[in-house]
Amino acid sequence: MRNLFEVIKGFFKGVDRGMREVSTSLIQNELEEYENAFALLTMGFLSGLPSPPTGLVIRLFPHMQREIQVMMSKSSGLFDAFGSTMGKFSVD
Amino acid sequence: MTNIYFFLGKGGVGKTTISSAWAAGLAKIGRKTLLVSLDPAHTLSDALNVMVTGRIKRISDSLDATEIDIDQMIQDYLQDVSTTMKSTYRYLSTLNIDRYFNILKNSPGVEEYAILEGIKEFVSKDEYDIIVFDTPPAGMMVRVLGMPRVSLVWTESLIAMRRKILSRRRMIENVQGRFEADVGGEKVVLTSEEKEDPVMQELVSYKNEMEALRNLFSSQSCKVSIVTMAEELALSETERIIGALKEFYIPVEKVYLNKYMRIENPPEEIIGKIEEQGSVVMRMKEELKGIDIIEIPMLRSSPRGVEVLLALYRDYLKEGEKV
Ligand SMILES: Nc1ncnc2c1ncn2[C@@H]1O[C@H](COP(=O)(O)OP(=O)(O)OP(=O)(O)O)[C@@H](O)[C@H]1O
Ligand SMILES: [Mg+2]
Repeated sequence: MRNLFEVIKGFFKGVDRGMREVSTSLIQNELEEYENAFALLTMGFLSGLPSPPTGLVIRLFPHMQREIQVMMSKSSGLFDAFGSTMGKFSVD
Repeated sequence: MTNIYFFLGKGGVGKTTISSAWAAGLAKIGRKTLLVSLDPAHTLSDALNVMVTGRIKRISDSLDATEIDIDQMIQDYLQDVSTTMKSTYRYLSTLNIDRYFNILKNSPGVEEYAILEGIKEFVSKDEYDIIVFDTPPAGMMVRVLGMPRVSLVWTESLIAMRRKILSRRRMIENVQGRFEADVGGEKVVLTSEEKEDPVMQELVSYKNEMEALRNLFSSQSCKVSIVTMAEELALSETERIIGALKEFYIPVEKVYLNKYMRIENPPEEIIGKIEEQGSVVMRMKEELKGIDIIEIPMLRSSPRGVEVLLALYRDYLKEGEKV
């Protein structure tokens, strides 16, 4: 009896995790898209994209540099758009 | 409340002369006045006959003056940021950082940014009743005065976007824990809290600064005037400046027609010029309703030194001025 209970609990846990993973990965994709867009908007000056006023870029620059390094190390393969931009300036 | 004055106009029309005379005049009637040149081309020291570059110099009882070095300011500022970044994040490759800074240093808009920073710094001083700014040529200055509004559009949409990022991060954090990464041997955490997120914090403080400047530039305590000469091209140029400023909700108070030639019986050679002058003044008065038009004659010699500037104020600027 106890065993069955564990099995059922385990099953629902699995379902729950499965669903959470699906929705997490959706959110994850969304997050990555926003992060990419944000980075391109604020660091686009590197490739001549239209940029926010230089003052704003200068102010955000130190933080974005750090942010981008973390984002890049978080997942390789991500950040293709930005990666190629940075590549032009031989940034790894 | 400090009153601030800007005198805009194209190169060589007399911005430095008139802003210096104006500052000298207001100081003479007892207002504690600071005269600041924001022009990368230094000429204030020449107009005053006193070296004022790089520091605030006492000119007379109530008058201080200074000339800021915009290029140096940009250089120092970027150097500062770069040094801080290198010491905070050791993993950043020095080479790449320097390359970025080189791009930034030469980006369009960097001068305007530095000038705006200069303005911000001086208007925050509350020991002055009056601050008079001598400005770089009008095109650039219009961009500087409009920058707070333009920047706010960007800042507000980036803040909204940042919020979305942080809220997504929070959702994922709830499942997977915090975003940590090992970058070159250092542990760095990406937060989902607005208060802890340096990007959001910078956006918010930038937004506050820009709002303050935007409000200041459109307020009663900020007076913008145009200096020009009575020539055909001046009218359309002046209207262009007025129109551009209007888009930023910055009204123009006065137009100074400098180097006006008052000649009783003009010699043959300049009759055409004198007629042009007369017709420009007439059209200006018609077309620029609500803006005072003030004529300042061409003087016998270039006005230099506080006493001469003061005389210029008394003779031509003071008239009808309620301070
Ligand atoms: N009313 C005047 N009569 C005679 N000379 C004048 C008059 N106003 C200005 N000047 C002279 O004209 C020259 C240019 O004036 P000023 O330096 O004030 O112009 P500016 O607009 O500040 O120029 P810049 O764009 O180079 O900064 C100076 O030599 C100045 O002394
Ligand atoms: Mg000048």
